[in-house]
Amino acid sequence: MDNVLEVKNLVQKFNVGKRNEFIAVNNISFSLKEGEILGLLGPNGAGKTTTIQMLLGVLTPTSGAINYFGKDFSRFREEILEQVNFSSTYTELPWNFTVSECFEFITYLYDISDRKTRIKKIIDIFRLNNLLDKEMHQLSAGQKTRVNLAKAFLNFPKVLLLDEPTASLDPDVASYIRDFLLEERKKFNVSIILTSHNMAEVDEVCDRVIFINHGEIVADDTPDNLAKTIDVSHISLYVKDGLKRTIEYCHNQQLAYHLEGRDIIIDVREKEIPDFLRKLMDKGVYYDEISIDKPTLEDYFLSVSQQKRR
Amino acid sequence: MSIRRIFGMVLRYFLYFKHSFDRMSDVFYWPTIDLLLWGLTSSYFRSFISDKNHIIMMIVSGILLWIIVWRGQYEITVNLLEELWSKNLINLFVSPLKFSEWLVSVVIVGILKAVISFSFAGLVAFMLYKVKIFSLGFYLLPLSGLLIITGWWVGFLVGGLILRYGTKIQTFAWAAVMLISPFSAIYYPLSTLPAWAQKVAVFVPTSYVFEGARQVIDHGSLDWNKLLVCLAINLVYLTLALRFINSSFSKILKKGLVKVY
Repeated sequence: MDNVLEVKNLVQKFNVGKRNEFIAVNNISFSLKEGEILGLLGPNGAGKTTTIQMLLGVLTPTSGAINYFGKDFSRFREEILEQVNFSSTYTELPWNFTVSECFEFITYLYDISDRKTRIKKIIDIFRLNNLLDKEMHQLSAGQKTRVNLAKAFLNFPKVLLLDEPTASLDPDVASYIRDFLLEERKKFNVSIILTSHNMAEVDEVCDRVIFINHGEIVADDTPDNLAKTIDVSHISLYVKDGLKRTIEYCHNQQLAYHLEGRDIIIDVREKEIPDFLRKLMDKGVYYDEISIDKPTLEDYFLSVSQQKRR
Repeated sequence: MSIRRIFGMVLRYFLYFKHSFDRMSDVFYWPTIDLLLWGLTSSYFRSFISDKNHIIMMIVSGILLWIIVWRGQYEITVNLLEELWSKNLINLFVSPLKFSEWLVSVVIVGILKAVISFSFAGLVAFMLYKVKIFSLGFYLLPLSGLLIITGWWVGFLVGGLILRYGTKIQTFAWAAVMLISPFSAIYYPLSTLPAWAQKVAVFVPTSYVFEGARQVIDHGSLDWNKLLVCLAINLVYLTLALRFINSSFSKILKKGLVKVY
């Protein structure tokens, strides 16, 4: 697969006051392959949105290079943006326009041959038929997100940048949108960069994840591989007898735990699980139910965010 | 430049016009109120002077011609503000739309709205006071052209400031052009101004236009040399204002378009 996007040594510095500067993005490099869905993760203020803004040309990088389809973005902006689109929860379409009016004027900003057919198709895909004559300010947050997302598909983009694409959507609609993204990728080889705070969504949709913190890439791998770097599993027990002894043991062994009634969730390193369970048995702890959850992308997210905070 | 994209933006602002009572009133309501107030005032004053119809023609033509300056700058500044208010600026510039195309679109919208507003006010002026603004004939074209250029450079100047400082200075979108109005001698001859103000007026292009309009009304002729001076001043200011708004846009791109609000 060819790279549709290549980012090299991208830096974004902002002046803070007259003398100081803040480095929002510090020398990051990555690429996006044709048909790939790449998750851009990181805690708030990590540099994700700044990176996306530079990729869209609404923020000029301090230094570094962005190439789409092998072309320099700063030189071929218009040509490249014909094939790129974007959707975010932090931008809005004109508040007093109907949904169909929004789509109508936006299609003129792109080189779309049959505007009416394209709009109709997008309306059907995103199930917007009943919202067409509603003005944007009459829509719920979830409906606005859906319209924004639909807008991002108007120009048959080859590269899509999605900032929190399913935020404020009902679970069934979010699931439908995720399936749609996967389907679009399958049918048209669309490449997608998405940011999300929903780790399950990233895990489900993304082929690869780049984790950014303090403006630097701290990890670049598949969701599964990133999760595997965390060796702590969560053991859930419903303790019938010996809850106090269990808590005491956790304290002694410095194991993190979370208690709810007689349910206790304890973080234990994977290789130490058999030993841990045997020790509980030795102490006469009697439990009814047990489940062991393997580490997830969310655990990785929390782990890296906390490490950096320390 | 892409005509398709420019058309898209013109469509965007006309759709906004259709939905906004505020914008409708800007085009129809305020010019009518101005005409009523100033026309009635000048009707009252004409009882004190000998040349009765002349005073009304002077005042009313001043009102009508000022509409052109007003609309030219207003469409640039208020449409920029509208994009900031509706948080739509990013949606526009993540598309292939160029900043220069946006500028051209608001200039076109300004011309179209000036024509609508001027024609409507001209009709109202005829119905109320029997003033025929189109009796200025062919002279109306160069005079209007020069006035709208003034509107553009004021609009670009204020637009550049709004891009740099955001909506906290939004009042300039309505107020800035009024700064040049006293020196423009819209309703009175230039000689009425104090000597120092007449020196300032030399650098205000609209003063040449309104003097010229009065010359046409009084003598049926126009001093073309003065209009050329006016054009030259206008073009210098327009060039500087364009450079300013372009540099403001480049500057804001270094901070990020989302930071403009």
